[in-house]
Amino acid sequence: MNSTRPHILFSGLAVIAMVLAGCSDPASRGDPDQKVYRHSMDGSATSVDPVQASTVYANFMVNNAYDTLYRYKYLERPYALTPNLARDMPEISDDGLTYTFRLRPGVHYVDDEAFPDGQGREVVASDLVFSLMRHFDPEQLSQGAWLWQGRIEGLNDWGEEAAEARDAGEQPDYDAEIPGLQALDDHTLQIRLTRPYPQLTYTLAQGFSALVPPEAVDHHGRRGLQRHAVGSGPFQLVSFTPQRAVFVANEDFRDDPVDLEYEGYDEEVHGEFGLEAIDGRSPPFIDRLEIDQIEETSARWNSFTAGNEIQYSTVPAEQAESVLTSTDPVEVDARYADDYFWRASPEAGFVYMNFNLDDPAIGYHEDPDQDRANHALRCAIRKAFDWESRNDRFYQGLGDVYPGVIPPMVDGFNPDFPDDSIRRDMDAARALLEEHGWTEDNLPEIQYGAVSSVTDRQMFEQFRGWLEELGFPGDKVRMRTFANFGDLNRAIRQGQIMSFNIGWGLDFPDAENTLQLYYGPNEAPGSNSANMKNDEFDRLYDESAVMQPGPDRNEIYNRMNEIIVDECANISALTRTRIEMWHQDLIMQPDREILGGFFVRFVDLIDDGQGGEPE
Amino acid sequence: METLQYTLRKLITGLPLLFGVTLISFALMVYFGPDLTYELVGKNPTQEQIERVQSELGYDQNFLVRYLDYVREIVTLDFGQSFSTGEPVADLLARTVPVSLALTLPGFILGNLLGILLAQIAAWNRSGWLDKLIMGGAVVGMSISFLVVIIAAQVIFSSSYGLNWFPVRGWSVYSLADYLYHVAVPTLALVFVSLGYNTRFYRAVFVEEMSRDHIRTARAYGTPPIPLMLRDVLKNSLIPIITRIMFSIPMIIVSGSLLIESYFGIPGVGKATFDAITTGDQPVLKAVVSLTAVLFVLVLIINDILYKWVDPRVSLK
Repeated sequence: MNSTRPHILFSGLAVIAMVLAGCSDPASRGDPDQKVYRHSMDGSATSVDPVQASTVYANFMVNNAYDTLYRYKYLERPYALTPNLARDMPEISDDGLTYTFRLRPGVHYVDDEAFPDGQGREVVASDLVFSLMRHFDPEQLSQGAWLWQGRIEGLNDWGEEAAEARDAGEQPDYDAEIPGLQALDDHTLQIRLTRPYPQLTYTLAQGFSALVPPEAVDHHGRRGLQRHAVGSGPFQLVSFTPQRAVFVANEDFRDDPVDLEYEGYDEEVHGEFGLEAIDGRSPPFIDRLEIDQIEETSARWNSFTAGNEIQYSTVPAEQAESVLTSTDPVEVDARYADDYFWRASPEAGFVYMNFNLDDPAIGYHEDPDQDRANHALRCAIRKAFDWESRNDRFYQGLGDVYPGVIPPMVDGFNPDFPDDSIRRDMDAARALLEEHGWTEDNLPEIQYGAVSSVTDRQMFEQFRGWLEELGFPGDKVRMRTFANFGDLNRAIRQGQIMSFNIGWGLDFPDAENTLQLYYGPNEAPGSNSANMKNDEFDRLYDESAVMQPGPDRNEIYNRMNEIIVDECANISALTRTRIEMWHQDLIMQPDREILGGFFVRFVDLIDDGQGGEPE
Repeated sequence: METLQYTLRKLITGLPLLFGVTLISFALMVYFGPDLTYELVGKNPTQEQIERVQSELGYDQNFLVRYLDYVREIVTLDFGQSFSTGEPVADLLARTVPVSLALTLPGFILGNLLGILLAQIAAWNRSGWLDKLIMGGAVVGMSISFLVVIIAAQVIFSSSYGLNWFPVRGWSVYSLADYLYHVAVPTLALVFVSLGYNTRFYRAVFVEEMSRDHIRTARAYGTPPIPLMLRDVLKNSLIPIITRIMFSIPMIIVSGSLLIESYFGIPGVGKATFDAITTGDQPVLKAVVSLTAVLFVLVLIINDILYKWVDPRVSLK
């Protein structure tokens, strides 16, 4: 027996060693006296680099670590821009081509080893020049270059030179002068456009436009900046993994007292959340921000309701039945309403279904008769689509269904737009098919692309049921499944799928951002995944793209929306309503959308003298 | 000396296994894995931008060049950086493998020890009510989905609907108490699921051993049950037990437990591997696959050495 003792001892030591090795980094531990806000997100950011802030999750990280020139007001809805790092709104020349921005003086980056003495230097206008140039350097793998592609004088040319330099194994010249992108002095930036771009200021509120110091890119490299942030935002990133991000308050964040009324405070809407407590104080108000990225809905909900873990969550679909007592109007069960604050808000975007008009079986056809028949087929399928049932089965009846692709929250939405494209009419649908010679025998096989998931399968079966009612044999409506969204996305971008469900999150609150989804030059692999090509639409898009907001532009938007509906290029649209809940010791109004990701700087905790008990 | 020679010989003969595993898995990654291109380009990319990204990801090179690059990475143990997060793969593994080990080891050890104990009781009481009770429990454990077990354990032990004693999520481990606090519920779930499979397997081994002549002789001599089951039955059943345990080790080290890590928010290698599979993060996948293959070769060698240790009749020649 004695001979086994050393083995047991060794095994025990090995286990202890494993446990110690699996310990968390002591540096990531919080102070028990700190105010800690534990946020949760329903998906994962994989990068905190502004050039890759393409998802709501990545954008959220960037908004908290970096600064953008503009942001959206905390509480005002519809969303309204306000200066952030900029001192005021831009000066715009009469021809709409020259924008002059003035930056606040005295704003500093967080301390980081990227700086010569480790101390964050002042943010200057040339940092924005550099940050926008990064998007055009192919080495940086930008996902945001499309926002400024061909818009800023000389920037595309510089991008071509940068590509040539990279091909030759050299560094691009970031000191090169770009005519349309110039820092006039440390605190003044001038952008000269190739043609008017009224959405430019919106793009400077996106995570993509966040200011990154060149020193950080030199020191950490592109790969390093995917998980390390050197910004001047309200928080400093401490650690980042695809499961969890930890920030601490940026102690040197500029003095910028909250004017609650200016931010859109409305006693009737926000009165119960205790927001008056932050009026006149300078954010950030919490010491530490922990963001758990939790895709598993049951785990997120259990963690939220546990009471001492995450403090914010959206209500998962499978919990909606037990949480809500009514959907119209939205009422929350007293068990939850007594313990948590809640808010029902429309998403800044929508879900819809596209037809691939490049597919001759359902889209454009060189034979005019067949082309008309295909158009009728698409319109008939749309008439068979039952939005009410889709909303009830999959969105708890909370969605807002409307015709076209201009959602209610943006300027340009027309509440009087004819709604026959979202009303189910099986008789009219069958008549359309009959009129154009479609029979059970000659109807094409409808291919429906989706990710391999239970919900997608259920949506497909619902869709197939409607088409069977319309006269399609069941075996002519097929689902083509993809292992993940990346594969589905590739097939869509390569124009390989006949029809598919998809969603769109607004990059900025302007209908241009959704109408561009049907602009001919944006065809696949661009965002016009329906591959719609309509000369009148494209002409109107070009015309409206240079117009300032106003009734004239809205009229054009309305006509463009009509064209999309008339083309039967899609089946649209439904804006989902999210139920957000948060613990009552928090003073905040959260906002899950890309446009609302700035809210965390305004979050405060009721001070009970016990700190935030960080994990 | 014999052991050293055997180890060297086995390491050399393990190379074709490593070659085969990496070649097949790499072919699967290249031809059937996700394509990251459209995740990395923006919303309205030009063809040139798409080609740039493909070039950056190495998609524009032919299979042979890419596979040789993979072999070079294995030899130099440098798998580069994760496509998704930019983290060096070596850092990622160094960060996640110990967490997975610390997470799964207690469940693995307890699951096997309890499995052996229950299997011995069942085998001793073969066909009796105790045997039927234990085996019935084992079948129940095997029949319930791991996912259901995890969610039920979370609801019972970690949520406000249940006892709310343990955390639902997180891995903030700075002391032994923190460790026990975070590992308790995952371990319970792991033990619950593994116990059924282990007990059934070990019982079959023990029952077979108990039918042998030397056990009948020992019983005839009047050897008491505990010494008999431990000294005679268990010791002589060690070869299949070692085989089962050893072959689980590479999966414990490399795969962790995806579901446990996902649902409990634990930053282990299982979740990292799953994310790499779904996002097509080839540098991470290549490292995990080759690490698993190497571990299997090592396990095969250690397994044979252990055979000889528990049964001196086994020769390593």
